[in-house]
Amino acid sequence: MTSVETRYLARARSDADGKLVEADELVAQLQRACGGAVGTRIAIPELLALVEKAQAYGLRLARPFEATDGEQRITAWVEISPIATEDGEADGCSIAVVSWQSEDLPPENDTATARRRVEINRHLADCTARLDSQQRLLSVETEAPDLAQFVERVGQKAGKPWTDFVELAGNSHAQPLHWRLLDGARCTVPGSSRDWTAHLEPLGQPVPGNAGFVLYLTADQPLADAGADAAPMVEGPSFGRDLTPVLRQPINRIIANAETIRTKLAGPLADEYSSYAADIATAAQHLLALIDDLSDLEVVESEDFTTAPDRIELADVARRACGILGVRAREKGIALVAPPEGESQLAVAEFRRVLQILLNLVANAIRYSPDESQVWIRLDRIGSRALITVADQGHGLDQDEQDRVFEKFERLGRSGDGGSGLGLYISRRIARAMDGDLTVESAPGQGARFTLSVPAADDLRQKPR
Amino acid sequence: MADAPSPEVEYDQDALREALVEGNAALARIGPILTHLLAAPDHSLFSDEIVARIRGMCRHLAWQVLRAQAEAAGQGGHEPFAERHGEELSDHLLASPALLAHCHALAIEWQLTEKLEVQYGVDPVLSPLVQDLISSEDQNAASAAMAALTAQARFAQTQRRMELPLGELSGDLFHELLLRWRDHSGQLRSEAMIRAETRLREEFDEGAARIALLARVVAGMGADGVRALEVDQAGAALFLSALGARSGQSRIAAVLSTNHRQSTRLALGLRAAGLSAEAAEQQQLRLIPQSAPSRAIAAIDADEARRLLTETASAGVSQS
Repeated sequence: MTSVETRYLARARSDADGKLVEADELVAQLQRACGGAVGTRIAIPELLALVEKAQAYGLRLARPFEATDGEQRITAWVEISPIATEDGEADGCSIAVVSWQSEDLPPENDTATARRRVEINRHLADCTARLDSQQRLLSVETEAPDLAQFVERVGQKAGKPWTDFVELAGNSHAQPLHWRLLDGARCTVPGSSRDWTAHLEPLGQPVPGNAGFVLYLTADQPLADAGADAAPMVEGPSFGRDLTPVLRQPINRIIANAETIRTKLAGPLADEYSSYAADIATAAQHLLALIDDLSDLEVVESEDFTTAPDRIELADVARRACGILGVRAREKGIALVAPPEGESQLAVAEFRRVLQILLNLVANAIRYSPDESQVWIRLDRIGSRALITVADQGHGLDQDEQDRVFEKFERLGRSGDGGSGLGLYISRRIARAMDGDLTVESAPGQGARFTLSVPAADDLRQKPR
Repeated sequence: MADAPSPEVEYDQDALREALVEGNAALARIGPILTHLLAAPDHSLFSDEIVARIRGMCRHLAWQVLRAQAEAAGQGGHEPFAERHGEELSDHLLASPALLAHCHALAIEWQLTEKLEVQYGVDPVLSPLVQDLISSEDQNAASAAMAALTAQARFAQTQRRMELPLGELSGDLFHELLLRWRDHSGQLRSEAMIRAETRLREEFDEGAARIALLARVVAGMGADGVRALEVDQAGAALFLSALGARSGQSRIAAVLSTNHRQSTRLALGLRAAGLSAEAAEQQQLRLIPQSAPSRAIAAIDADEARRLLTETASAGVSQS
């Protein structure tokens, strides 16, 4: 294969959904001219088709595409390389522009322009009305709700010129004027808060208009649809933001008081009561964990959930997790085996989030392992992925359970052990948001191995590659 | 039970009947094919040479895929493996209309290239226009032309050997080929095949293929691309790419339009690509000397020519 020495004029990148996530000015400008923006779906039709094809095939493509920015016709040559994540999932494409030619659009002839304008009006009109040769309204058709009043008035006074029903901007002449003067007129329609433009398409031969007209009323703005109106409603009370702090406070007091009773700090107490208090404290702690999980859930499920990746040392995270959960493990006589001193694996991920996942995995391992067993945390690397594995000697999971274990609220039939069924679901969401994944390998009776994979880093450089 | 045929015999008879039906179908095709071959005054589209070239290219494609498979499986003798299965897979590939059309067009293009060399002394690799582009001030244009030149040299070499490297397929065809390969292996698709396919996909780079490089040169020339429409200046390869790109036809359609029974398509294509009536006529006569330029074509403008071509794009040549 010949390698072509190429100077790229511009680069861009799309994500798995065909959104243009970054773009140099050349491409960004065209994207805007086509009605898109950086961050929205690629708006350049031929480029979008190419990107989708490269992604579907998993092949590097090099092709020309044509587009117009309204004033010029652009012919560009692009090289598109699909990007895949480690597990082979498509993750968008990189786009490199090799050549870029623009030429002025040839002036359109008048007939073609007129025909196109009529087509556009026909497609965009919110309201279409049939007029007779005197521009009197014969019938009206519209689906725009804000024109209901207009239609009603027309129904009452059919046979009047259409100009009686609208207010033409800055025009006090006796109406209706000749259709050529009214074509393209701006107007307002009683009952609608939008600004309208009227277009008249003459019908009939040989004198245009002798068989009547079609009146198109086109609004400058689309009517804000119901969906857009409803959107701010979602911004109502949010569990994570509003309720969590409110709930936390009383529950913390319940826990604190229950602990006080349990430990008999306020004076002697029958042992039964002390153990009831212990139950109360445990239940409240469970409730607190559930609230944390639910607010986490809300965060990781929101569309704008992102993590702040950094270069981190996975061995550090592993030792930290072992330190935090050491006490709980010792209570069950479980030995936590952290990666040996000196072992190291660098990764690109957010420290806090990796720790959160690891705490979840290790806590699960402790919870579901028999007493006096071991839980290992191991580091590994395969290709460009850094792996951290938590292995236990518990009952293990069969294939069906492995398939379900990452599902929301999945408890695998267990209850009463303090789990919410959200931990692994949340952990996997976080892992994926960091461009990683969380997987399980297990067999009944063989224990389970949960593996978190994140992009590996080769050194502690600050700049991501 | 001597008079009732045993189930086994019945089964055998069914098989025989089927074989006869198949045979009949094959015989039925003789008529149209013979008629066509006898009626066509020249056989440039179906000559023995063209058929042999297509078969050679398909077989080479199959060989390369199988060699990759053998490599991935870690089998020692890659050649014997490809030898064993090559014929079958190659037949399977021949059944793909798109691959066939591509190989056919390449064979015809090569014939044209050789004809131009004999008749007008145009070098199959280094045409005057390519020479000109290589010495261009514009670094990007020069390096693209240089890469196209290298690719064209490779094309000449492989055509002489009746071969077609995998990397010379377009992305769509490459994808199609891999699908056919998968389909051919059916249930027997092994880990090794999956590995081989992943590797082939990773190695594939459409931008390095000759047709892509030629298209890139034409795109890079912009309005100046009209220069590539002078066939004895540009050479067949660049001419065909420019003709296709500028007239809104696929390159395959452009290649087929150089056949002498397609002179109308050629003339319309040249007009649609932006040549004046006189210049289009000149090129038409250079490629198909026996054709008679039509007045009707001289009378219409580029847009109309393009519209006519689009409207009448036939199924066989419209695919890009």
